Amino acid sequence: MSHKVCLIRGDGTGPELVAAVETVLAAAKVDIDWIELEAGLKAVEAGKALVPEETTDRLREVGVGLKAPMTTPIGQGYVSPNVTLRKKLELFACVRPVRSLPGVPTPFHDLDMVIFRENTEDLYAQIEYMATEHVAHSVKLISDAGCERIIRAAFEYARRHKRRNVVGVHKANIMKIADGMFLRIFKKIAEEYPDIESWDNIVDNQCMQLVTKWKLYSVLVTLNLYGDIVSDLAAGMMGGLGVAPGANYGEKCALFEAVHGSAPKYTGMNKVNPTALLLSACLMLDHLGETKARQDVEGALEATLGEGVKTYDLGGSATTSGFAEAVASHLKA
Amino acid sequence: MFTLYGADIYLRTPKTPDLPGEVGTLRLVFIANRGTRVFPPPAPEAEPTDWPQCRYLSDVPVTDEQVDALAAHLTALGWQWTKLQKLFKNDGVDAFSKPY
Repeated sequence: MSHKVCLIRGDGTGPELVAAVETVLAAAKVDIDWIELEAGLKAVEAGKALVPEETTDRLREVGVGLKAPMTTPIGQGYVSPNVTLRKKLELFACVRPVRSLPGVPTPFHDLDMVIFRENTEDLYAQIEYMATEHVAHSVKLISDAGCERIIRAAFEYARRHKRRNVVGVHKANIMKIADGMFLRIFKKIAEEYPDIESWDNIVDNQCMQLVTKWKLYSVLVTLNLYGDIVSDLAAGMMGGLGVAPGANYGEKCALFEAVHGSAPKYTGMNKVNPTALLLSACLMLDHLGETKARQDVEGALEATLGEGVKTYDLGGSATTSGFAEAVASHLKA
Repeated sequence: MFTLYGADIYLRTPKTPDLPGEVGTLRLVFIANRGTRVFPPPAPEAEPTDWPQCRYLSDVPVTDEQVDALAAHLTALGWQWTKLQKLFKNDGVDAFSKPY
C-alpha cells in the first residue's frame, strides 16, 4: 500500500540527507508517494513566506511529514520555521528516543530512553515585552490542558512500548505555580498508570543523574525549555546530534525530523551524517504501521555502523551517499 | 525614546472573543492564544486556553488615558481582563514580540 507523506527537503545539507533517506527507503521497498513542500530559506528565496500557508495546509491535510533541517534567515526578524510548524500544526509532543548505537563512540553504554518534551507552551510561546527601557519580561505560559496531554502521551507511550518508568522533570521548587501545576498534574495522571513506576525530579538534579545513573531512566516527560536542553544533553550522550532522531506528534499530524541544523558550510560536500534523518524516517515508518520495514532499516543501519562504515563526525570517512548505499546494500542482501 | 503605542489585553474567556476592530486610534491587530495567532484566521485546530492575548496598536503614539479607555470599553462590553501589558516602541523599534 502506498503511503502519502509530505516532504520538506530543507536547506543547506538537507537535500543530501533526504536523498540518502530515499536511497534507503527504496531499498527497503517501502512504497511512499512523496508530496514535496516548500519551507525555510528556499521558500524565502522564492519570494514566499518562511513557512507558506499552503505548506501547513497540506501537512494538516495529509497528516504525515518528513522534514530535513531548514535555515532561519539571520537578521531579518524571522522566527524559527521549525517552531512555526510545531505551533501552527499543534504538534504538542516532541519525542526524542535516545539509545546507544553500535560503533558510535560514547561513554554512556546501554543508554535507552525516550524524552517527551511539551512543544507548544512555556517560554516558547515567545511572548516578550520590554516593560521599561531597562527591564525585559518573557511570559512563561503553562496550561493545565497542555500539561495533561504531554504527560498522558508519555504514559500511554510507556504502556504501549512496555517501558519501565516515567519520570516527570520540573523546577517546581522555584516556579511553584507554573511548574507546580505540571507536577500536580503529573502525580494525578501517574495514579491512572499503577503498572508503570513513576517519580519526579528537579531538572538540574535530572541532568546530573542522566550522566551518572542513565540506566535508571526509561521515559522522561517535561516542559518545553527543559525538554529542549535535556534532549540535547541526551543526544550528546548518544553520540551527538548527527545520530539523534526526533518526531513531533499532534492529534492529527506527525512531523519527523533530524534535530540538528542544516550545516550550510558543508552544503554539496556529500559529507554529513544521514543517521539522524534515517532514524527519524524509522519513527515515521512505525507511525505508518510499517513495523517490519522499520525493523529492517534499523537493523541495516546498525549493521552498517557496526562494520565501521561511518561519516566524518563519528571518525569515519564515508560520504553521505556512500553511507546510504552501505545501509541499502544490507537491505538488498 | 520609549513611547507608548498600545496594549496587549489578556481576557478570561474560553473562546476567541469577538472584539471591536477599533477603539479610538487603537486597532485590533490580532488575537493570539499561547503565542500563536488565532485571529485573523487561519487558526490552529487546537483547543485554546481561556486566556487570549488581544493586541491593540495605534499608528501614532497614544496616552495612558487612551489605554485606560480601551480597557474600560472592553469591561463595559462585558469582557473580564486579567492582565494588561502596555506596548512601547524604543526609538521607533517594537519593544514587544509578535505571535507565530
